[in-house]
Amino acid sequence: MLKNYFKIAWRNLIKNKVFTLANIIGLTSALAVALLLVMTALFELSYDQFHKNKDSVYQVYLSSQTPRGLESGTSQPVPLAPALKADVPGIKHAVRTLSDDTFATYNDKEINLDAEFVDPAFFDLFTFPVITGKAKNPLSEKSSVVLSEKSAQKVFGTVENIVGKTIALKLGKEEQLFSVSAIVQDPPSNSSNDFDIIIPFENHPEYASNIDRWDSQFHLVYVQLEEGVTPDQFEKNTQEFTSLHYQGSIENAKRDGAVANEDGLFMQFHLLPITDMHFTSFASGAAVVKRTFPYMILGIAFVIIFIVCANFINMNIALSEKRLKEIGMRKTLGAVKKQLFFQFWLESLLVFTASTILGLVLGNLLLEPFKSLFNTRATLEHVTQPKILLIFGLSIFCITLIAGGYPALLMSRLGTLRALKGKMDLGKNRLRNSLIVLQFAIAILLISGTLVLHGQIEFMRNKDLGYNKEQVISIPLNGKKDSYQVVALLRDELKGNPNILNISGADNNLGMGRDGSSMSSMMGFDYKGRGVVTNALTVDYDYAKTLDLEVVAGRTFSRDFAADSLSLVINETMAKQLGEEDPLSVRIPIDDGATTYSVIGVVKDFNFQDISRQVNPLTLFLNNDWDLYYAYVKIAPQNISSSFDAVEKAWGSIEPQAEFLGSFLDENVDRTFRREKTMATIVTSGSILGILLSCIGLFAISMLVVAQRTKEIGVRKVIGASVSSVALLLTKDFLKLVGIAFILATPIAWYFLNEWLQNYAFRVTLSPLFFIAAGLLATLIAFITVGTRTVKAASANPVKSLRTE
Amino acid sequence: MLLQLNNIFKWVQSGGQRIFLLKDINLEVQEGEFISIMGPSGSGKSTLLNVIGMLDAFDEGEYHFLEDSVHDLKEKHRSNLYKEYIGFVFQQYHLLDDLTVQENLEMPLIYKKFKGSERKAMVADMLDRFNIVGKKDLFPSQLSGGQQQLVGIARALISNPKLILADEPTGNLNSKQGEEIMDLFKQLNDEGVTIIQVTHSEKNAEYGSRIINLLDGRMI
Ligand SMILES: Nc1ncnc2c1ncn2[C@@H]1O[C@H](COP(=O)(O)OP(=O)(O)OP(=O)(O)O)[C@@H](O)[C@H]1O
Ligand SMILES: [Mg+2]
Repeated sequence: MLKNYFKIAWRNLIKNKVFTLANIIGLTSALAVALLLVMTALFELSYDQFHKNKDSVYQVYLSSQTPRGLESGTSQPVPLAPALKADVPGIKHAVRTLSDDTFATYNDKEINLDAEFVDPAFFDLFTFPVITGKAKNPLSEKSSVVLSEKSAQKVFGTVENIVGKTIALKLGKEEQLFSVSAIVQDPPSNSSNDFDIIIPFENHPEYASNIDRWDSQFHLVYVQLEEGVTPDQFEKNTQEFTSLHYQGSIENAKRDGAVANEDGLFMQFHLLPITDMHFTSFASGAAVVKRTFPYMILGIAFVIIFIVCANFINMNIALSEKRLKEIGMRKTLGAVKKQLFFQFWLESLLVFTASTILGLVLGNLLLEPFKSLFNTRATLEHVTQPKILLIFGLSIFCITLIAGGYPALLMSRLGTLRALKGKMDLGKNRLRNSLIVLQFAIAILLISGTLVLHGQIEFMRNKDLGYNKEQVISIPLNGKKDSYQVVALLRDELKGNPNILNISGADNNLGMGRDGSSMSSMMGFDYKGRGVVTNALTVDYDYAKTLDLEVVAGRTFSRDFAADSLSLVINETMAKQLGEEDPLSVRIPIDDGATTYSVIGVVKDFNFQDISRQVNPLTLFLNNDWDLYYAYVKIAPQNISSSFDAVEKAWGSIEPQAEFLGSFLDENVDRTFRREKTMATIVTSGSILGILLSCIGLFAISMLVVAQRTKEIGVRKVIGASVSSVALLLTKDFLKLVGIAFILATPIAWYFLNEWLQNYAFRVTLSPLFFIAAGLLATLIAFITVGTRTVKAASANPVKSLRTE
Repeated sequence: MLLQLNNIFKWVQSGGQRIFLLKDINLEVQEGEFISIMGPSGSGKSTLLNVIGMLDAFDEGEYHFLEDSVHDLKEKHRSNLYKEYIGFVFQQYHLLDDLTVQENLEMPLIYKKFKGSERKAMVADMLDRFNIVGKKDLFPSQLSGGQQQLVGIARALISNPKLILADEPTGNLNSKQGEEIMDLFKQLNDEGVTIIQVTHSEKNAEYGSRIINLLDGRMI
């Protein structure tokens, strides 16, 4: 019996091989792509989920009411963590962490390591399993350090017998000796905390000088709450604590006209679950947790699956019409509903099973290219969890049931006589049409998303940032030499080269360099009885000249003036904030009047931060006591690559030990929207695939529709219709569906894209052209797909189509 | 003279062999004639009718229709010629299922680019003439075979063709209905319409003024 079912199913699939093939190709590619997308999304969502204590560990952030509105930040002062632990009830551990670079020396080998300075309880909060060494409290000694497996390999060349060995670390200007107390597994790729070496917090060079300072904030704090304590309770418990320790800041906020929050507070500590950290942005002032990216990817995967399933259902229903006579025959022979149903379902199941297997194979083949294209570190392990496999199995079961079962149901309801006549005028076209409309609405949504995303990226890439990004190379100063000396040596070395125009340095990069690090430095002071906050940037001479910054008033730092270490150059926004008619008259007393800074120049606003942000107040300092971290080299527009090589060569002779990580600023700027680019690639590929799959479906449906209407086409031609009018008649019905899809999709697309663009301070205008282009593109594609079929049908000799009666 | 066929051949290629569907057909039709084509099944009657109706091409020979040489015409001109002068009636009626009687009648006029008001008048006229005003809003499936054929003929006549081609118009009807259709043809013929019909029935053939016999694609 079963064999019989299989035999008939097989014959049917072979008989309709074009459709079977179209279905299998569509399903296979959709499943493969969905697999990869789901993998990426689940990987993103799994960030920091591996910590055993994830439910009780939080990152501490402080929200402050300022005259500029709500501001939140995770940078904390050194005394906060011990004070929290001592004064606030319900806290099991409070841990400080600070990421910094350090130089390790072992047997004359020097290695740059990514260090995490932490309090000992770090290992109680976070799950980084010890491989060898002291498993319990490995940082109990101030002079002990913990290495990751990878960095142990890098430093010692092995992970065996390292525990107890001594290495020298350069912290600040000095070198200190540490003994290795344990080796831990490398942080997994879905960890927000990434490190090579873990060092007790007290060893950080900034520790001693800031041990009692509440106004110097530069590290993160995590807490673990006691069992049963909620974040709400923590927030209540810290209110008094905050008003005590931040009294000065609160009074300043009141004085400057800040508005208290709904609890009447000016400063309030909050907790952020560590599993939310990866998705949190403080840009708007409050902590906003958005998992948009993974959910969008999941959405695209879902939508692609939906499109192929819709194809599958549509083709099945259309094809089953051809089988009406067969069904009628079977019914007269005594087949019952259940048997008919099973027959149809089996056919669907066969197609799906084959596609699933092929999809898995294809997905695996595409894994590596996919990972590099979308720059994800996800692995298939993230998908092959029992829960997900179960959901997947169940969905296949359901889809096949619908795809196979629906036509079966329609037919089994049909009277035997009508089935024999081969006519089925049911509402089935409504289902088919709604599915096609949905498919194309999705396609239009994805196309307009693609267009707007690329529009925004192009906009950001082409925007005038206020500095010269094409001709300037920035080089992270990752060597051991003093930074000012390095810049001086670079000047020396490249002096004779006519293509090197200017050289300068600063303590921060523009855009994202190849070192991958980013930081911001803020400071605040009182000016004429008002609090003023500014970004601070330490620069070397010629900074403005090197970057082509426009000086709108006064001058920039100059070697001709001896006292420039007490001079300030500010940007226009800062000048506006200071509110003086003549910004050059501003004098700022600092450290209770011990020193006074004076503003000597104003530069035109330039985008020194991400382009997603407004230009904030900025103050440039010239102070040889503060290190530089980046050198800037401006080169002539000619012979760019040979100039770049010359810079690299000069670097090699100055810092032979350190890797050259120089890059042009336009690359750096591009790197800051890597995420957008990844998103654009995913959405673009998603929409291309979506469109392709929709077209396969549309093509198949148009084939079937044309077949159904052969006789009508013939009759129309005999009574005088021209080829074009018949083709139009057939195509029109489909284009109407695309039109409805356009009307449905556009408002939705507009809404979401507008929401998304709000994330950017500088954004492309959401012109209707984006949507019209998307609609036209979808129409054109649908037209070509259907048109090839319909024109052919319309040009056929009517005598032939009428004879087939 | 309405049309003239000279040495028409039509064949299909099958396995390297020519199978002739029409062989050396010579035929002259005057305006106002009523011709019946007869012959056994498979003798090429429908093929000949389709060739005359310009629905099908032929491989050799000349075909003159009024002043035009059909064998030299481009597809477009041929279909214009056809649209203007010829109406077809089928054994299976071939009405459009999704359209009402009225809409079925209107369709050829739309294709021939008549204005809306003109169309209305012509359709109303036709409904009147065939006594099917009461049925104008029904769909073909709601009509009897004879009524459907009536609509089919009305549709063929609506744009005043000079020539009606009918392929076994009474084949699916009972003898009473068939007789009515034949009477209608006679009447139309008397009004000046040229008619060429294919038929198996001697009795129906008698309505015509001339009978052409076909055998294996050849006129005898
Ligand atoms: N395209 C074609 N390819 C091959 N053979 C064809 C083709 N068209 C028609 N024939 C053959 O040509 C012959 C004549 O067909 P036609 O339809 O003209 O016959 P008929 O005289 O109308 O028959 P009937 O009385 O049964 O309608 C038949 O044998 C038919 O099989
Ligand atoms: Mg025939």
